Amino acid sequence: MNMEPHISAEEFDIRQFMRLDLFPHFLCPGCGHGMALRALMWALWEQNISMDKLAVVCGIGCSGRLGAYIDSNTFHTTHGRPLAYATGLALARPDLHVVVITGDGDCLAIGGNHLIHACRRNVNMTCLMLNNEVYGMTGGQVSPTTSPTRYTTTTPYGNAEPVFDACKLAEAAGAGFVGREVTMQVPTLKDLIKQAFDYDGFSFVEIISDCTEIFGRKNQLGESAEMIMSQKASTRPDSYGTRVDEPFRPNSLPTGVLVKTDRLEYRAHQQSLNPKGQK
Amino acid sequence: MSASKTHPVTNVLVVGVGGQGVIMVSKVLALLCQRQGHEVKQSEVHGMAKRGGAVFSHIRFGKKVHSPTIPTGEADILIALEWAESMRWINQLNPETGTFISDTHKIVPPFACRNRSRNQKAVYSKETPKDVLGKVAQGYALDAVGVAAELGNERAANTILLGVMSTVLDFSVDDWLDVIAKFVPPKSIEINKKAFLYGREWVKEATIPEMNGEVEIEKAAELTNELEIIPAWCKGCDICVRMCPEHCLELDAEQKVVNARPDNCTGCRICEWLCPDFAIKLHKVPVNEKQPDAAMVEA
Repeated sequence: MNMEPHISAEEFDIRQFMRLDLFPHFLCPGCGHGMALRALMWALWEQNISMDKLAVVCGIGCSGRLGAYIDSNTFHTTHGRPLAYATGLALARPDLHVVVITGDGDCLAIGGNHLIHACRRNVNMTCLMLNNEVYGMTGGQVSPTTSPTRYTTTTPYGNAEPVFDACKLAEAAGAGFVGREVTMQVPTLKDLIKQAFDYDGFSFVEIISDCTEIFGRKNQLGESAEMIMSQKASTRPDSYGTRVDEPFRPNSLPTGVLVKTDRLEYRAHQQSLNPKGQK
Repeated sequence: MSASKTHPVTNVLVVGVGGQGVIMVSKVLALLCQRQGHEVKQSEVHGMAKRGGAVFSHIRFGKKVHSPTIPTGEADILIALEWAESMRWINQLNPETGTFISDTHKIVPPFACRNRSRNQKAVYSKETPKDVLGKVAQGYALDAVGVAAELGNERAANTILLGVMSTVLDFSVDDWLDVIAKFVPPKSIEINKKAFLYGREWVKEATIPEMNGEVEIEKAAELTNELEIIPAWCKGCDICVRMCPEHCLELDAEQKVVNARPDNCTGCRICEWLCPDFAIKLHKVPVNEKQPDAAMVEA
């Protein structure tokens, strides 16, 4: 394990945080998850978070596999339950920085129940949901975030289901910090993740990633470069003002920090109810 | 000299770069003329401040003004808040009677440096005050930004130029100061007053400032960019090749990325950031260290 090597390093080098014996990683060529992982590690490096004080909890799926490459305390859990495991971990070990990496199917379909309750409880942790619109690892089945009319292996005539807006769901369930970014904007994504770390409570970040091999090819979305460019074009940064820019990009998703409210963190709230500190 | 006696309408052209206070100068002048009973028409290009673009403002005043814009070659006074902008608009000035007032401060726009290789010179106006002031009927050039910085605030440079201009027009000093106080922030009224009076005094012993036509740009650090590519990790996804703004990268026969044009690399790190396989790492290498390496490769 690396013992705080990043404090003395002048420049960020992702390789010093990776389990290099596992490389090259298993992700398909052009998968956006790699960029998301870089942004996460970059944010950790800039925040001076020691790898000893980090705990990464992952679910199942392509995104869940990312934790295996981080040279830190990582935890590969059951399908859809990383948030439940992480809640327990964060409560038992408040000294750890708990990061949850989960996917769209993992977090919204099988783990949708855990997401809404994690948002409601407001335990201090950061949840990164990598949204690539498909179940990539299991062969390209339709997921709750697959856009309408898209072809997947289970929707050969096009998807008839409407899209789940994860950020609105998290906001409605009570998450204090909600953000969204595309993987192409790596430095911006890094800044967003840094803000999510700083937030005291449950922070939810949706990262729009691309699945070129399984989703993009079936839908003729082009190579990875085209996919990430079109993702960037279909979103609008909130710094331009969501309302001002909306008429010009009518179907675009706002990115950046979407919700930031002051909520009492779960642990602090619990301690305020039990002032004597009895267990 | 008073322009307002020789012409029925006096034309003043204020030019500069966005953010310097072109509009503020023209508003001061317009309100002052209005208070003195003139009819004033003003026309401007504004909103370029965000992009650092050129901004200009036409002010015409007299007994009766019909059109708000000044015909080419009929401006009586040209006030430029930036040297290259003064050169851009100098043909608007009346060649026989016009007064030329300019700051010698240089604001070099980013696109003045068209060649993105290292240590390239920017293209900027070659004319010096010596060349220009001999050709105009009456001309003043001074380093107003430098003087204003000495007075305490660079942003008062436009007020110094107003002070210089006030000697050409027939308005009293008190009227000028009164109007200036209306447009500047309350905290900086005192410094603007000082700046205005400095400009008026400076005219009496006006000198031609020394200036060379060269643009001094900060020299780039003696570092060069070297891409470290791990071919075993590269999966040939083509993202870096497509996204490189300088088209440095290429895929070879084995679908692995290679740095085909290393001299074009500007070190922007886009390839490093966007590589999902972490196969690319940019190193900033001192130039001296790199040369022996290249020699070794050739040998």
